[in-house]
Amino acid sequence: MYNALEINDLFFKWENKESFKLKITKLEIENKKKIVIFGKSGSGKSTLLNLISGILSPLKGSLNINNIDITKLSQKKKDEFRANNIGVIFQQFNILDYISPLQNILLPCFFTKFKKYDKLYFYDRAFNLAQKIDINKNILLQNNSKNLSVGQKQRIAILRAIINKPFLILADEATSALDDKNKKDFINLLMNLCDEEKVTLLMVSHDTSLKKNFDDFINLEKILIRNENIN
Amino acid sequence: MKILINIAFQSLLNRKVTVILTIISLTISIVLFLSIDTLRLGAKKSFFGNVKSGDLILGARSGEIQLLLYSLFQIGSPTNNISWESYKEISKKPEVDWIIPISLGDSHKQFRVMGTTQNYFEKFSYRKDQKLLFKSGTYFRSTFDVVIGSDVAKILNYKLEDDIIIAHGIASQSLHDEFPFKIKGILKKTGTSTDKLVLVSLEALEAIHKDWKTGSKLPSKIKNKEKEIKNFDLTPKELTAAVIKLKSPISIFKIQREINDYQEESLQAIIPGIVLTKLWQIVSITENIMLSISSMVIVSAILGMIAILYSNLNNRRKEMALLRIVGASPKNIFTLMMVEAFLISFFSIIFAIVIVQISSFIFFPILDRQFGIFLEQKIWNARNLYFLNLVLISSLLVSIFPSIQAFRKSINDGI
Ligand SMILES: Nc1ncnc2c1ncn2[C@@H]1O[C@H](COP(=O)(O)OP(=O)(O)OP(=O)(O)O)[C@@H](O)[C@H]1O
Ligand SMILES: [Mg+2]
Repeated sequence: MYNALEINDLFFKWENKESFKLKITKLEIENKKKIVIFGKSGSGKSTLLNLISGILSPLKGSLNINNIDITKLSQKKKDEFRANNIGVIFQQFNILDYISPLQNILLPCFFTKFKKYDKLYFYDRAFNLAQKIDINKNILLQNNSKNLSVGQKQRIAILRAIINKPFLILADEATSALDDKNKKDFINLLMNLCDEEKVTLLMVSHDTSLKKNFDDFINLEKILIRNENIN
Repeated sequence: MKILINIAFQSLLNRKVTVILTIISLTISIVLFLSIDTLRLGAKKSFFGNVKSGDLILGARSGEIQLLLYSLFQIGSPTNNISWESYKEISKKPEVDWIIPISLGDSHKQFRVMGTTQNYFEKFSYRKDQKLLFKSGTYFRSTFDVVIGSDVAKILNYKLEDDIIIAHGIASQSLHDEFPFKIKGILKKTGTSTDKLVLVSLEALEAIHKDWKTGSKLPSKIKNKEKEIKNFDLTPKELTAAVIKLKSPISIFKIQREINDYQEESLQAIIPGIVLTKLWQIVSITENIMLSISSMVIVSAILGMIAILYSNLNNRRKEMALLRIVGASPKNIFTLMMVEAFLISFFSIIFAIVIVQISSFIFFPILDRQFGIFLEQKIWNARNLYFLNLVLISSLLVSIFPSIQAFRKSINDGI
């Protein structure tokens, strides 16, 4: 089987914080799988996703996404790579509320080099995807996104993550701000879209009840090496 | 870049209140600076506008500035007069084009009386070769005719053919009440000291002082002065000063030297432009203070803008993180901050230009009418444009600091 994500001997610590260190000897995630990583608050879930997305750079180790070691890329290439290949959904604050929902969805397209000749294609794609998840044209074309409900915001976030046909979607506690009903809808939606788009999904959460929706789950504490063994 | 400008713009719109307040404070400070600068230059021009006409000013030997002040601005008093003979002799020099005699000393209410000749109305010009014009009436035709400046007419509410009495000296109670004058002409507003003058002929001054040998009125037995006076020789004995125009400016220094070396009497000739410049240097200390105050206002407005950019950094961490996650590089974040600073200062400058332009249409005519500060409508000289550029550039320069901060944060911060 082909690995969408492969982490080897990863080591990271914050510049200004000695107490927290993150070390992972090996982590592999198969292509097109939907995986959830569980971990307590403060265990480093968000930090791990930041490393995978290339926002943070590890001090040691390699991080292969689609067989490209992003730790070897320049800052600029890394940012480009992220815009092209990785979609990210957060717990909260997924959208800029002063631009329209449509613009929010298209944000990653603006930062990739394909933006010019694919413009119409992406607009079309945004409208089509939106229709599928019950967000109509009028909502998409609102002047700003201030009046969207929490559920709508999270759905827009899914579209934004998926618009650029990414290879990998990262979701950070993407359900924890939602009530049960919204949570169920959100998960179903995400799963369906990932299947349709044939994307690998990696979600981190502390909510172990999500386990049943995913192909597999990983306990972060298990793959982390204890602090005392880290030099 | 386009997306960054768009995002910056929308983001600013989203923070309307703070952004508008920042723009307002920057706009006000730019307007303040531009107005002070325009006023200053206008005041300078008006000030120098008083001297346009003459090449030299002739007076008794005293301080240069003193002579300038009483001859052109009618401020202060001469310590000595010049004799009619000397005046006559100098006016006969071949280099002299025309000469305007000035005789000061008396007053009417709060205004000064100046004796002169027809030349004053025909030759004297101010600012850009503007001649004195009559709003109504004409130059004095007979001895006891008087022409008044526009401020005199306005403040004392005088019309043509009104009678006025001249007082001996300045702020004096003794009146030349046996010689009533008739207003025969009212001048148009010039924005110079002429507006505050009561102009009479030299002969009239001579006539009303016939009885005043020692500075106080002698008891007079003559009943009908006006008829009587015609029998006297009314050639003046003394003058206060004279404005000389030469046929060619080349001879200015020659004539000046000749006058300064004049044997029979101690005279001096000054070049008004030069003395005025000296005087302006003294006045310009205030000018510099005003300029520094308004520059400091601008500096503080720019600092205010930076403070706002800084204080927003924390609130906008998530916004920046989101942009990073969709593919924006730290460089893009830096650019975004700079674009915001640019937009703020750019709009402030545009608003300031509009406000200054509009207020110039409204206030310039008022300033000219009320204060004699004549400002040209064409305010946008190279100097002002240079200044506006300077504001833009310096606000961008200082914005580099919060932008670098945002850049750094976006590298070291997770989401
Ligand atoms: N920008 C930062 N600078 C320094 N330390 C940080 C920063 N962000 C997080 N940390 C620290 O890194 C550690 C891991 O934090 P992280 O956010 O990855 O945990 P988490 O598992 O996502 O927790 P939660 O479930 O609360 O989101 C914590 O000790 C946290 O204090
Ligand atoms: Mg977290």
